[in-house]
This record gives sequence, structure tokens and C-alpha cells, in this order.
Amino acid sequence: MRRTSSTNAISVIGRLAMLLALGNSPAQASPETDALRLELEALKQRIDELEGRLADADQSSLDAKASAAANDDNAEAAAEGFDVGGALRFNYVWRDFDESADSKRGDIGLDLFRLNVDGRSDNILLSAEYRFYTFMNSIHHGWIGYDFGAAGQIQGGITQVPFGLLPYAAHNFWFGVPYYIGLGDDYDMGIKYLADFGAWNLQLAGFKNAELGDASNLDRYSYDPVTSGDARNEQTNTLNARLVYNLEQGSDCSHELGGSGMWGQLYNRDTDSNGDYWAAAAHIDSRCGRWNLQLEAGRYAYDPRNPAGISSDSITFGAFGGTHEVAADGNFGVFNVAYNLPVRWPGVNLLTCYNDFSVLDKDPDNFDNSYLNTTGCAIGAGPTFTYIDIIRGKNMVFFGDGSLAGAGDNAWETRYNINVGYYW
Amino acid sequence: MSESLDSLYSVARRTIWLALLLWLPVSPAAAQQLNMVSWGGAYTRSQILAFVRPYEAGTGVRINMEDYNGGLAELRSQVRSLNFRWDVIDLELSDAIRGCAEGLLEPIPIDALAPPPGGGAVMDDFLPGSLTDCAVGTVIWSTVIAYDREALSGEAPDSLEDFFDVERFPGARGLRRTPRANLEWALIADGVAQQRVYDVLETSEGVERALRVLDRIKPALVWWEAGIDAPRLLETGRVVMTSSYNGRVHDAAVGRNQPLEIIWDHQVWNIDLLGIPRGNPRREQALEFIRFATATEQLAEQARHIPYGPVRRSALAQLDPQLGSSLPTAPENFATALQINSRWWAEHHERINKRFEEWLQQPVRVPRRLPR
Repeated sequence: MRRTSSTNAISVIGRLAMLLALGNSPAQASPETDALRLELEALKQRIDELEGRLADADQSSLDAKASAAANDDNAEAAAEGFDVGGALRFNYVWRDFDESADSKRGDIGLDLFRLNVDGRSDNILLSAEYRFYTFMNSIHHGWIGYDFGAAGQIQGGITQVPFGLLPYAAHNFWFGVPYYIGLGDDYDMGIKYLADFGAWNLQLAGFKNAELGDASNLDRYSYDPVTSGDARNEQTNTLNARLVYNLEQGSDCSHELGGSGMWGQLYNRDTDSNGDYWAAAAHIDSRCGRWNLQLEAGRYAYDPRNPAGISSDSITFGAFGGTHEVAADGNFGVFNVAYNLPVRWPGVNLLTCYNDFSVLDKDPDNFDNSYLNTTGCAIGAGPTFTYIDIIRGKNMVFFGDGSLAGAGDNAWETRYNINVGYYW
Repeated sequence: MSESLDSLYSVARRTIWLALLLWLPVSPAAAQQLNMVSWGGAYTRSQILAFVRPYEAGTGVRINMEDYNGGLAELRSQVRSLNFRWDVIDLELSDAIRGCAEGLLEPIPIDALAPPPGGGAVMDDFLPGSLTDCAVGTVIWSTVIAYDREALSGEAPDSLEDFFDVERFPGARGLRRTPRANLEWALIADGVAQQRVYDVLETSEGVERALRVLDRIKPALVWWEAGIDAPRLLETGRVVMTSSYNGRVHDAAVGRNQPLEIIWDHQVWNIDLLGIPRGNPRREQALEFIRFATATEQLAEQARHIPYGPVRRSALAQLDPQLGSSLPTAPENFATALQINSRWWAEHHERINKRFEEWLQQPVRVPRRLPR
């Protein structure tokens, strides 16, 4: 309602207006009536002033909404208040390298149940996710932040490592090589600063260690060096920087060009000494009409201080309750292409099909390269989301005897995977 | 002693006078108030200045103004529950036609309207199409493309096609979240002759064709709902071009000194009308208010506060010719104008809007963040 901010004034005006209407003839005019007229005019001016302030408030509100929506990374936690969400997912898998596959025709089971909390109170932000698997429970991420408005945002806690293609270096459910070598969708414990400067986006971070602060604990979501192998190394005191430039925002095509770098210490529990590690990558993320092309190329190197007799050619990585070896030095590449189909199926509001390819070129001559290629589609229908993937891996963990270090079976293996989830 | 008595008498007289003023039973007319719903911002302001305040001053009837974004859902709810919050509604023509057909609006007899000052028939004074069985026209307004001349350095856009050309004129676009006018524009930009637009939209293929054109700019689109938000999208730099009501752009450019320009090419013009919810117990008072609000003087006055053309010929005749150039109906602005086919939309809106909302949920681009 117009004038709701001045209800009392309205009441007075209404009565005065009625009375003035009654006493409108000159014969009825009196000093009292004149005074009331003046009061009426004053109150009307006050209403005009309040309406002006209301318009200004509307403008401020719109500005705030525009500012929040302009930053994709901040948008999740931009709304005032807190949202609780989650997901329940089931997974079907058929492995061609599993002897029972032909007889059983695959397996289906609970993938996860997860809970999310996202929100803000004034400028204080919160985002957390906890995941329940059948074989482990673990925090996915959890951070508290402060929003400086146009000056950016700071997050502290378990937050996504700003490196390479974000938020994911793949479209499919199974992800690509960067995830399994700790360079894609990784979460660590530290502080991160994010800000947009026109078309530029800058992220700077410092991580004390991996997400759990206990390198022997394998019940974690993202892969990090762990102390469960022969060479007991863990990452510590890592610095990250990621800078991207967005080309042609608001046109039919948008291109994100980015560079990332990280450097940190690699502590060896047996020798009680620090080695170091570093990684660098460049990426392009282009969206033209319904097409999306993602390219990433990078190099990493781990220089551990292992005890004598322990090979430094590979590093033990762990997550999801298990470990695998990764070549200590190598180059990696990502080539993903996706197309968003214009479907008109009842209830279906998204159908994106893709082919995600990634490779790890290992430095040691006796280590064969690792490859992962996933062809599939993601289907969104209301609150449900389904990934249907054909995943082929060569020298990949979870694919027969494949290895991201040496001694793999050097053969292509296939998984057929369907993941169905309800998200709220 | 006599001075004291005079003073006492004076105080008593004032007290009694004030008490009478405050507590005197007021006439039935003075005790009335009406609730009117309109579109907010500069448009509501023009109504307040042109006929709300004068009516309040002349009758003592309070007019409470409320904002809405159009549509019939709330009206339907009030009429069905007989719980009337609104007494007078400012409607788009298609809503007026649909609302009348659904029995949501009171019939308004033509003899209830004020005659033109110079005499003559009321029917002849109103422009064709501005009088319906259940609503009385007030203004002709227009949906236009507006742009920020400072955000578009170099060549200035001057046609509807330029709005859809994000390569020549990069930057985000604003559109009202409705299929109305947007689909017509999309087809015209795709080469459909203006007079064939509704024939093409009649078919599902035509609707899909229009949506495919909108797909071209969908990643760059920002949707607005309240008229007041359209110029603000430009003012805050969120978009470089947007659809908007011409009066809102004029208000921002002249009233707030914003660097906004109007592209009149293929403006889509429409009529706003006043109606009364069916079964409203304050029907007679509402009708009396509509008679006043749609009188010649008031419609001419409204055009002085917002550049929307009055629907009465007698009101147009009272306007300064200079003012006319900023109206949608000025010849230079009107050359390619398209009148929205409100009867067609009244019939097809439900079906097309369902498809439009479905289309809105489907992104063109591969989403950056899929659920994990």
C-alpha cells in the first residue's frame, strides 16, 4: 500500500480531508480550519518525502540483488537467511572387467545421502555439506565467510581449492584425471579470498593442510597425499592463486581464460623433513550457444623427502577410504566438449550430453600414460538429476588393474554407470 | 475579570470547535475510502497527481493505492471468496477482456461516464477499442526497447533487430517475464511480416520459432516483472538494452537525468483500463471514481505527468503539441507500431504462457554447475 509507512499520518489526513470537505465554503472557514489545512499540507509533504525514501530503498535493494547475481561464486550464499538442502542418490554400475558382470548384469546400491546448509546473516556467510556413504561419512566442505560487497569475499574453513577449471573439470559423474591426482574439485583447510574486478576474477588462498588435518584418515571426499603408504607424505602450508578473464559477457559466446598456480610443502612423517610440490595450469572454458568446450593443460611436480630406499617416483594419494599411487611428476590435459540439447520431453528441463577426455603423461619412462574418456548425458527432470555414462579408462584407478603411477595393466577397461539423484 | 472571562470563553470555544471537528459524525461520503490497484512507480504517481488527489480533495473519499504486476490470479481469488481488498483495478486490455469473460469484473454502462466538455457522444470521444463491456480505457502506453547510450559506445542501436543482435551490440538484455510482446518481437526480428505475427503464433511451430529466436539471446537475458525495475536495470548497469514501458524510460531520462534512449521501432502499444471486481459492495462509489478518473480533464492531466496518450479525443485536444512528440502516438514514433492483439492473447495466453514458463526453465547454455 502507498503510505503504509505513515499510517497515523494517513489517519489524520483522512479525517482532516473529510472535515475540510465538509467545511469547504468560505463561510465555514476559520483560523482553526486554516491551521488544519496547513497541517494537512505539511503531512502531504511528509508523505512525498517518505515515498521518495521508499523509492531510494527499492533502488538499494535492486543494486544489492544485481551485485549478488553478478558473482557466480558468491551466488549460492547470497540470499539472506539459511537454506537446508541435500540429495539422495543411487548408483548402478556394470564393469566389463569384473568377472561377475555378465552373470549379475551389474550392481545397484545407495550412492550417498547428503545434507547442505547455505546462507548468510548480514555479511556473514556459511556453506557446509556433509556426506553419508555406505562405507564412510565425511564432510565435503564447510566454511564461514565474510562478504565485502564489491571488494570481494573471504572464506575460511574447508573450501574448494582455486585451481584450473571450476567448479568442475568435467561434466560427467565420474570426473576426470585431475580429480584423481588432487588437482580437480579438491577441498582443503585454509583461507580463500575471491573478488571480481570487471571482467577479471581473482582467487587467492592459503591452506594449512588438507581438509581433515589428519593425513592418515582416508575417509575424505577429495584426493590428497596421505600417510597410509610406504612413503608417508602430507601436504602442508600451500599457497594458491587463480586468475581468470571473462571475454564477451552478455553475448552469444562467453570465454573464460585462466591461469592457476600452487606451491606448498610436502612433509614426510618418517624423515620429519619438508620437501615441496607445485602445480600450474592454464584453461579455457568457452560457451557458445549450446556448445561448451573446456581445455586445460598443466604440470605438477612432487619432491618428497622420503627415507632411504623408498622410491620418490610416486606419491600415495587417498580418499573414499582407499589409496592409490600417482606419478610424482607429470603433465595432465583435459579436453571436454558438451552440448545442451533443446528437448521438449514432458517434465525434462535439461539434457546435456558430453564427451570428457583427460590424460596424465607421467615423467618416469617406465610409467605408461593414463587416460579417461567418458561419454554420457545428464538429464534434469524437476528435482531429479540423472547421469548416464560410458566411462573408459586406461591405466586408471578403479578400472581393473590400472594405475596412475607405474605397473598398470595398460589396457582399456569400461564402466557403464547410471547415477540417479533427488536433490532438494 | 472580563478579560479572564473572554479568555476562558475563547479557550472553551476553541475546544468545542476542535472537538466538533474531530468527533462530529461525518457524512457517509466523507467516511468512504476505496482501494485502487495499479502498476506503481511513475505511472501510479501520474494517476495520483491527475485524478486521485483531486478526487480526494473534492469528495473526501480516501483512495488507497496498491501496486501489482498484472494478471488475474489475485482478482479471481478475491471475487471467488467475496473478500474484496481491491475496489478499482488498472488492467491491461487482455486481462480486461478475459476478466470480463470469466465474470470477474462488473459491467460498466457507457452512460455512467462523463461526457466530453464540448458536448457530443461519449462513444465517439473514446478511441476505438478503449471501451469494453467491463472496463474503461484511460491511456495508450507502449512497450519499447530502451538502451543506455553511455553503455553502448560507438554505433547506436535503432531497430528491433539490433536488440536481438548481441554480436554487434554486446551486453545483457532485459525483457519482461511474459510471452506477450516478446514473442511478437522475436518473430518480427526473424522476418515475419507484422500483420502475420498472430497467424504464425497461432501454431505450435510458430511459438517454437519465436522461442528459438529468443534462445539466441537467452544467455544474456535478465527478466523483470515490475515496470519500475526495467529502467533501473539500465541505471544500475545490469543490462545495456531492455524492454520497458515508454513512460518509465521518459521518467528516468527526464526526471532522473539518466542517459536513456528509446527505440520506437516496432513499439507494441496497448491500452490500460479501469475496472471493478464483480460483486464488490462498493461498486457505486468505485463507479463514481472511475467516472471522475476517465473524464477529459483528468486524462489530459495524466499525460502531463507521464507520456502516455489519453484515449479520449477531447483530452488529446487539450495537450501541448510539444508534449505530443514524446507520446507513442506521435506520427514519427508510430510508423512501425504494433497494437498488441489483446483479444487473441485473452484466448491463447494460458496455453502459450505454460510453454513459455517451461522454456524459461530450460537453459540454452551448458550449465556451469550441475548437481553433484
